[in-house]
Amino acid sequence: MGHLSLCRWLSSIAIVVAANASFASTAQAADIGPSGEPLSVQVHGFVSPGFIASTKNNYLARSSKGSFEFTEVGLNFTTQLTDKLRTGAQLFARDLGTNGNYSAKLDWFYLDYRWDDALGFRAGRVKVPFGLYNDTSDVDAARVPILLPQSIYSLQNRDFLFAQTGGELYGRASLRSLGALEYRIYAGAMHIDLGSQSSIGTRVDSIGIPWVAGERLMWETPLEGLRLGGSMQILRVDANLAVNNKPLWIEIPAALYVASLEYSANDFLFAAEYSRWWLKTESSDPSNFPRLTNTSERAYAMASYRTGKVFTPGVYYSLYFPDADDRNGTRIARAQSALVPGADGRAGFQHDIAATLRFDINSYWLVKLEGHFMHGTAGLSSALNDNKPLSALTENWGVFLAKTTVHF
Amino acid sequence: MQKRIFILLLFAVVALVATTRSIAAEPPPFVVIVNPSNPSNLLSRKFITDAFLKKTTIWATGDVIRPADLGPDSGVRQRFSEDVLRRSVSAVKSYWQQMIFAGRDVPPPELSSDDEVVTYILKHPGGIGYVSGKTNLRGARVVTVQ
Repeated sequence: MGHLSLCRWLSSIAIVVAANASFASTAQAADIGPSGEPLSVQVHGFVSPGFIASTKNNYLARSSKGSFEFTEVGLNFTTQLTDKLRTGAQLFARDLGTNGNYSAKLDWFYLDYRWDDALGFRAGRVKVPFGLYNDTSDVDAARVPILLPQSIYSLQNRDFLFAQTGGELYGRASLRSLGALEYRIYAGAMHIDLGSQSSIGTRVDSIGIPWVAGERLMWETPLEGLRLGGSMQILRVDANLAVNNKPLWIEIPAALYVASLEYSANDFLFAAEYSRWWLKTESSDPSNFPRLTNTSERAYAMASYRTGKVFTPGVYYSLYFPDADDRNGTRIARAQSALVPGADGRAGFQHDIAATLRFDINSYWLVKLEGHFMHGTAGLSSALNDNKPLSALTENWGVFLAKTTVHF
Repeated sequence: MQKRIFILLLFAVVALVATTRSIAAEPPPFVVIVNPSNPSNLLSRKFITDAFLKKTTIWATGDVIRPADLGPDSGVRQRFSEDVLRRSVSAVKSYWQQMIFAGRDVPPPELSSDDEVVTYILKHPGGIGYVSGKTNLRGARVVTVQ
């Protein structure tokens, strides 16, 4: 951990302490103008510094020696311009390993016109509704685990999945005794921050997602608290690279699907999701980047129960197979055996068992502790592990995380 | 002997009447109130839940629903949250955290007293709120929760 990172992390902690002192006697949100009145501005924010340590392999950051590069900060403004028209924007900065480095950016912004409950339209840079939690995956205070199941909500995929610039139709229709349907349909493009693609290992001249489209349909069943749904997203990633100074283009069309179930009753929550991601790689130089078709498989089950005002334990089990047809990793082992003699299939899967303790110290300040037992090396980054092939990394390993968040 | 029985019976009747009066005088822990111009007399628990979570935003009259909450530490809010929304105040706050930081919506205003809630409801034709049963409603209408 560098001196600079520690200084930045200590600054975050100082903000948390200062924020606590200033919120101790005030209300939750900061309102500019009369609360609840048109044209008043609601201001919300969070500061969320954390620590990550792992045994053996580096995960998300240089974590094997402990890292404080695990912080998010956000500040948003929302105003209701008329009864039907609303606008908002959020500034966000994070530090996660080699990503972010506290560079603040406009995370989302939108104009939202809602004709009625059944139909609304949102335009701008809007969060992508994929699965139960993709559009809230940055919000530490809104969930129990520090890390959402990384098989589906990978922090490393944030640039590809988090928000799109375009439009979205949304609405909710009552089915009377059968519950209600909530639907969202969107299309647009995604900008990818080049700085976050340093793990590719070649020079990236440009990368982007020229188009993305998708939908999410959730059924709020007649059993109160039970939601069932499905999400789908199609997109294409275009990249221009230089490998040994030789220009090269790559196109990666992809289709992502997830089926979701969530049940919440009072302070109990259970969620489970199953997902498949299909992609095809095409390039101008098949000798360097051969044509490839791949389907990965992802799933998790998660439960939590708030036992009182302060304490909420939670657990989950998450699975990730980079190749759904090779859950034992046999093909990957064969492919990497030239680099790693005697390579086994460990790079072909990731089993993640996680347990979290969340302490709500008060209504705006929380602390979390979390442990993971990991089996398999899929989902790890070679770049963070001295460019070693994933088959050469430790098969059974652990992660410990601590995080504190102040939000208002 | 008959005199003793009469006195005991008299005590019993007085005690029963006093208890009944006491129960009858006990105000409810909360009442749900709307603007006097709102024609609703009876609202389903599901409708009120959807209104406070902003899943339903328009009254049958066409007015925009404007829910108002009390602060998170209010005992009245805790009771309303558990009885009507069927979830704890913490669970409701967690729901709003998701909505706020996803850029989807913002929570109802959190007002600091029953009296402020009544003022808000009287000001907005689409207002809906809840206050302690002891509150002076100043003309705000109480609706029955079904």
